[in-house]
Parts: sequence; structure tokens; C-alpha cells
Amino acid sequence: MILPGFEYRKAASVAEAIAFYNDFQGKARYLAGGTDLMPLLKYRLSTPAAVVDLKGIQELGAISADHGWLTIGANVTLFDLKNDPVVKEYFPVLCQSLEATSCETLQMRGTIGGNLLQDTRCIEYNKTMEWRTARGFCLKMGGETCNVVPHSRICLSNYCSDNALSLIALSAEVSLAGPEGDKTTGLEKIFSGCGSRVFALGPGEILTRIRIPMEKSRGVYEKLRVRNSIDYPLAAVAVAMRQNGARVCVGGVGPAPRVYDLTGTDAGSVRDGAQKAYTDARAVPNSTLSPTYRRKMVRALFRRAVNKILSEGK
Amino acid sequence: MRRIVCTFVVNGVTRELLVETNALLSEVLQDDLGLKGVHVGCGTGDCGACTVLVDGLPVLSCSTLAVTVRGKEITTVEGMANGTKLHPLQESFIEHGALQCGYCTPGMLLASKRLLEINPSPSRQDIKDALAGHLCRCTGYNKIVDAVMAAAEGEE
Repeated sequence: MILPGFEYRKAASVAEAIAFYNDFQGKARYLAGGTDLMPLLKYRLSTPAAVVDLKGIQELGAISADHGWLTIGANVTLFDLKNDPVVKEYFPVLCQSLEATSCETLQMRGTIGGNLLQDTRCIEYNKTMEWRTARGFCLKMGGETCNVVPHSRICLSNYCSDNALSLIALSAEVSLAGPEGDKTTGLEKIFSGCGSRVFALGPGEILTRIRIPMEKSRGVYEKLRVRNSIDYPLAAVAVAMRQNGARVCVGGVGPAPRVYDLTGTDAGSVRDGAQKAYTDARAVPNSTLSPTYRRKMVRALFRRAVNKILSEGK
Repeated sequence: MRRIVCTFVVNGVTRELLVETNALLSEVLQDDLGLKGVHVGCGTGDCGACTVLVDGLPVLSCSTLAVTVRGKEITTVEGMANGTKLHPLQESFIEHGALQCGYCTPGMLLASKRLLEINPSPSRQDIKDALAGHLCRCTGYNKIVDAVMAAAEGEE
């Protein structure tokens, strides 16, 4: 597929990238690994006037551990992060979700920042321009109605990052830099909850760093998929257990991950937590498996993941 | 749309080209440099057929802007053989019948080459992991894994 025309700028610093963004009056897209953006451009799901390349920003390519935090630059590739000794030792849930992301070839290209800020997916959305024109544009494309759930006022496309779930379970924070200044916020707070505008980020904001509290954890990542590589999660659950309790994050269903803090790890609490996740999951027929099955699998994966950690700890 | 002067080291030869800002690496390699061994399958990063090595790392050339890999060393399947002498992996693929239609083969060979460079004695699972992003609709994969195993054993 041939790409649409656009200008190209390579930024050497975060400030320069934001300046390029402003030069094009906000009609620019940031490019890191490109594994999510390039197909969107090819399908004309995004038609920017310019692409601003962030890969040249050296300061975003490092992993460092200090002051009780592990700080990961947004340009670190999934493959390098997966093989980082600290991640292996401290955050097994992140290691597992990185392993479950796509395949090694794409892990070597895709960055952690890009993985977190990937667009949501829907069986009616990730299609060619011709297909979508014939079908009629949906809410996410600026149309009047949802093509999956007629009369729905909100887009329920699926957020498919594996690693956002494990990072949220690990209480990770993200640093954002933008024309309005810098800020740090909990990763779970960057989601808008609406699939047509996935992130509650300001225009031109760049995710620069992710930081995780350096505390040893036990963790399990469970993913529902039809192949054992390449595919996106159809439902997924990440659990991180630390001294003060377990945090569970459910994703792959709907436009934002959901977080559950488990107060206890007895059978009753786990069952109640899983039931709550099942009740909250709003699965609609927008992926390759039936919504009923995916919803039931949220509950099953929730219990499976927590019980796996509990049985390992014995 | 602007054109940018780009230098690539393609299969050991330095090439200087005028590249459009929206040109894909696969387009530059195929159309401008005539390297038809770069096979584009899905065009969206699912199949792995278009894989080339950029500075030794496998990269999907159909999903990479050519301007983003300026100045880098690019290896395509044409760069694997030494003159008329095939690379041991290529010999092994022929020996084991690891290709039928041959469309996925350049990607398989280059990803395997990278694997053997970092891990000279891989297990079958290591090979499967490294080739997970490469689809083959002919062989059923077993013969490809056999061929890479045999090449690894031969090199030891």
C-alpha cells in the first residue's frame, strides 16, 4: 500500500519535537517505532501533514534505576525492556506481557511509549478506505453512528496494549511533555474512556518516561488470543502482588483498562473481584471472538491469574 | 512533498539516493535499487515477508519510512550469498525443502541469520520464537525449523 504524502521532521530533543508539532499547527503525528502508526497511515485512518520522528531523541532511550524508581525512556524497545535484568527480577508481570506482545521482530522495532499510546482497534475500523467508505463512517471516523452497536453514542473499540495492563498493575506513572508544560500522572489516568478519542492528553503532548516503584513483586499476565504470536489480546488480565496487596488490571475489552485493588487473597475476595470485572466488562461484537465468550473469559482469566500467583507463593 | 538526499549502505555498497519523505524502505529497495528479493506480503506488519536487516536487526521494510534509516547498514537476501557461494542457511533451506513458493523465504532467512548471530546454538523453541512474526502458508514451518537447526549445527 502506498502512503499518503506528508512532510518528515526528525527531532533531536523533546522541545524540538514540540516545536515541529506547533510548526504544522497541530496537524502532525509523532513517530517512534511506527508499528502502529504506519498501518494507520496506509489505511488513511490518520492523515497528518507531517510526521515528527522521535527516535533520534537520545535521552528517551535509557532505562535507569534510582531513588526507588525504575525509569524507562519512551524510546526503549519492547525487546530491550524484556531483556532488562531489573525488569526480569522485579516485575515478572511486565516481562510476561512484553513476551506476549506481538512477535520478536516487532518487539525489536516497537517502543514502550508507542505501545502505550497505540490506537484502539475494532473489526469495523481497521479496514481500508474503500471498505469503510462503502460501509459508512463510524463514530471513530467522525460519522454519526457506531457500526457495531447501532445507536450507540460512545465508541467501544478495544484498547489492545498488553503492557499498559501490567504497568498499571505495577502502579506505574508516566511523564508527559507538551506545549503547556510537563506533568507526571498515573498511567491509568491518561485514558478518556471513549474509543473515538482514546487518550485524555493535550494537543502535542509526548509521553517521555514511564516510572515504576522499585519494589519486588510477584505477577502473572494472562491473555486470550487465537494464535500464540502476532495477535492482539481479545481479553487480558495482569496481576501484580506486593507486600500491601494485589492490583489487577483488565484490558482488551473496551477503550480503557480497568483497575481492581484486591483487599484480600482468600477465595471469596478473588471470586468477588472476578465477578465485578465480569459485570464491568462491556464487550461488544467488535473483534473476532463473540462478546459473551470474551466477557466470560475476563472472569476466568482474572481468577486464573490471581490463583496462579497464590499457588506459586505456597 | 519534499525529497531528501539519503545514504544507505545496502549489502555493503554505499548508495546515495533522493528519497521522498513518504517512501517506504521496501519501495526504495525494490523500485530504486532493483532488489526484488524484498517481498511485500500484507503491507501492514503481520506477515514478515518484507523483513530486511537494518544494522543487523530485523526490520519490516513495508512499515518503515526509508528516511528514518538514513546512514544505516541494510542487508537484503541478495546480500547473504558471497558471490556464487550461498550462505549456509540458504544451502540448508534447499537441503531440507524449507521453501515451496519462496515468498516468505527472504524474511525467514534474514531473521534466522540474525538469530544465529546472537545465539549460535538455538533450541527449536528459540527458532520458533525468532520466526514467530513470519508467516509461511506452504511448509507448515517444521522444515524451516529443521533447516535452521541444521545450519546452526553445521556452523558449530
